[in-house]
Amino acid sequence: MKLGRWKLLLPLALLVAGGTVATSGALATPAQSNVVRVAVMSDCKGAFGFAQELGIGGAQTAFAQFAGGKPKNKKKPSAGMTGIRAGGKDVNIVGYGCGDDTPATALKETRRLMQQLGADVLVGPLSGDEAVAIANWAKPRPTKTVIIGTAGSQDPTLQIAPKNMFRYHGDGAQWNAGIGEIVYKKLGWRSAAIIMDDYSFGWTSAAGIIADFCAIGGKITKRVFPPLNTTDYSSYVRQLPRPGQVDGYFWVVGGTGTGPALKAFEQAYGPINPEQHSGNLFLWFLTGKEDVAPRMIGVYVGGFGTAPGLKTKAVNQYHAIVNKWYPGQPADDGFFYNYYQATRALIAGLNKSKGAVGARLQASLPRSITAPFELSGKLKLDRNRQAVQDQWPVRIVRNPQGNPAVELTGYVPNVNQTFGGLFTSKSPAPSRTQPKCVKKKLPWQGKIREVKNGVVTKTVIK
Amino acid sequence: MSVDATKAVVERSIGVGLLVLALLGPQLVTDFWMDTVLTQTFILGIGAASLIFLSAYGGMISLAQAGLMGIAGYALGNMVSQRVPGGETKGLTLGWDPTVAVVVAILLTVAIALVFGLVASRSFGIYFLMLTLTYSVIAFLFVSQVTQVGGFSPIAGIDRYTPGFVGDVVNDRERLYYISLGVAIAVYVLIRYLVRTPFGISLQGIRDEPLRMASLGYNVALHRTLAFGIGALVAAVGGVLFAWWSGQLSPSNIGLQATIELLVIAVIGGLVRIEGAWIGAFAYIVISNEVTNRIPSEGLPVIGGSFNTVIGLVFLAIVIVSPDGLMGIWDRIWDLARRRGGPPQIPAEIQRPAAETSPS
Repeated sequence: MKLGRWKLLLPLALLVAGGTVATSGALATPAQSNVVRVAVMSDCKGAFGFAQELGIGGAQTAFAQFAGGKPKNKKKPSAGMTGIRAGGKDVNIVGYGCGDDTPATALKETRRLMQQLGADVLVGPLSGDEAVAIANWAKPRPTKTVIIGTAGSQDPTLQIAPKNMFRYHGDGAQWNAGIGEIVYKKLGWRSAAIIMDDYSFGWTSAAGIIADFCAIGGKITKRVFPPLNTTDYSSYVRQLPRPGQVDGYFWVVGGTGTGPALKAFEQAYGPINPEQHSGNLFLWFLTGKEDVAPRMIGVYVGGFGTAPGLKTKAVNQYHAIVNKWYPGQPADDGFFYNYYQATRALIAGLNKSKGAVGARLQASLPRSITAPFELSGKLKLDRNRQAVQDQWPVRIVRNPQGNPAVELTGYVPNVNQTFGGLFTSKSPAPSRTQPKCVKKKLPWQGKIREVKNGVVTKTVIK
Repeated sequence: MSVDATKAVVERSIGVGLLVLALLGPQLVTDFWMDTVLTQTFILGIGAASLIFLSAYGGMISLAQAGLMGIAGYALGNMVSQRVPGGETKGLTLGWDPTVAVVVAILLTVAIALVFGLVASRSFGIYFLMLTLTYSVIAFLFVSQVTQVGGFSPIAGIDRYTPGFVGDVVNDRERLYYISLGVAIAVYVLIRYLVRTPFGISLQGIRDEPLRMASLGYNVALHRTLAFGIGALVAAVGGVLFAWWSGQLSPSNIGLQATIELLVIAVIGGLVRIEGAWIGAFAYIVISNEVTNRIPSEGLPVIGGSFNTVIGLVFLAIVIVSPDGLMGIWDRIWDLARRRGGPPQIPAEIQRPAAETSPS
């Protein structure tokens, strides 16, 4: 047969075969009502692509511990899990969503998981604007339930706040409660500049720092906004005031950008003086990876809703659970822990609703849940189904091996999303210009207690 | 009956059959297929049709069409969304009347495209391609950097504010399916009509011989600019439909990925025939869904394990095996039949009268 004919017949054969396979799912098949379909969505690409196994691992650790799930591979959570039962029904993980921190991909993945694969519940997403997109998607679809994995933007549970969306961890602003007061009191900062990723989580996280720092009397003199996934930060750090013009700098630059941003600062203004720098949880992740980290020893950093190194029985039990099901997973990492808590709440809800989903599940999801990093042992939701959570600012120190690590430095009790009324459903969502820098009495102001060697002391930070 | 006549009859029969199937679609397939596969096929097909129109009849491969779709969608989103408790949190949230907003969004997109087209109309080939790519990049950077109109975050709630004649597309997705189908048919008919008008014929002349057409007195730049404007009108309508379908837009819907997506759809379908737009869109969306669902769970041995790898391989295969896309394969089947049936027959309309060709 001539080559020309092959060039016709081969694609035709492939087309017919591919078309048959691809369209086989087009015709409707009845869904099984005795199975609860759950999807877990994390990021496998983009700035937080490293966290996919953490999110899935956190969710499946809860399924293993509280719902009889059996990991297929203890070293690779995304290999799957079998045998999950809750509320008298089998729970089937229908798919893992793969986000890339963009709203468009999150939306596409949500449609695939919730509409094509028919998931009743989504545990996820990971990132701020993904959650904004999914909150908007969920609002007109009340039969679907979303429990946020670890996304920290404020809008999904305050301004948009669909009734079928739940968050069992703080938002990015809550995580930073206390950090402004700490640098104001311990380092004597009175003025600062802030550089923030130019998207919803960056804005929310910065909003927490700005609100906390300004509330006690500090001034933010400059705000700079590099886009997410920037690789060359030199033009952005040049927009910051020179050292000496402000007392310090807050860094809210995340993912793969943290190290390059700090290095760009050093290239512009010389070596980092730790007493002039602070920031959000992204500085944590710097400690193990970036060569700029050793020069950050002593820097105070906002929390992630977890308390690494906290010495309590509940924390020890939680660590034992994680080591049992997925040894080696970073139990204190919010990317893991927040998915664990979200799924734990889901299991409790399913048990209470007897496996029912939709409105009955939403009514049954717990408004108060056991949480190892809450000093009281319980985490509560507010009326917007958003966590009121203890926060744990940390400090970068040298560990016994001489490497940079983080250590608990403060305990901020019962941080709510509104910051004592500063943020409301009617206030503009955090943005480049929101919130304004205003002095205000915050509920936890003057109540932040020092943490020494993993133990909360009675000493209030002064 | 000649092979060409047979082909025309077969194509019309298939067209009618597909139309009947499309009309019955919501009753035949799952909700997901109706909404995510078929409705999206109609809408992305409209976007790809604007590209194929410019390419097939104007000789202009434009990479601006996804950007123009995005401009229309973003304009609509910013105009209709509302900043109220429980409402939208990003963008201008002007709260305009949806009907007015749709008209303004389409007119604004066409106006911008005419300016773009005026600049690009004197360039050809790779230079035109690069200029139009620049337009898409400008649109992307504008919406992603000017946070007042959206920024990195999604402009949401667009599907909540539709004109009265469109109705509720959030809860009644079948309605949006039929609207998209109707618009897709209208776009197809419009383009088929347009290319037969004097404007369309002269545009094809400019495609083939721009210098000769200029020497004959045709204003080449004006024709190309107008064609770009018509392409933008089609893209803008597609953009409005996409905004209703998606409900929200973010920079990824307007960026390089979206630009390449539309180009890949057009190439898979075939850059030479308008029908290819919807064929390509259907193939692209089905491949996208299948690959994303199967690879993680069943571990297909695909390099990189991602949709982009698979679609890249498909694109490569199409370019090598059938540069004219899936429609090209179809045409080649008929070419084969024609060769078996004897030498190609010259269509009657371009046969010269016997008196001119054979001297007596």
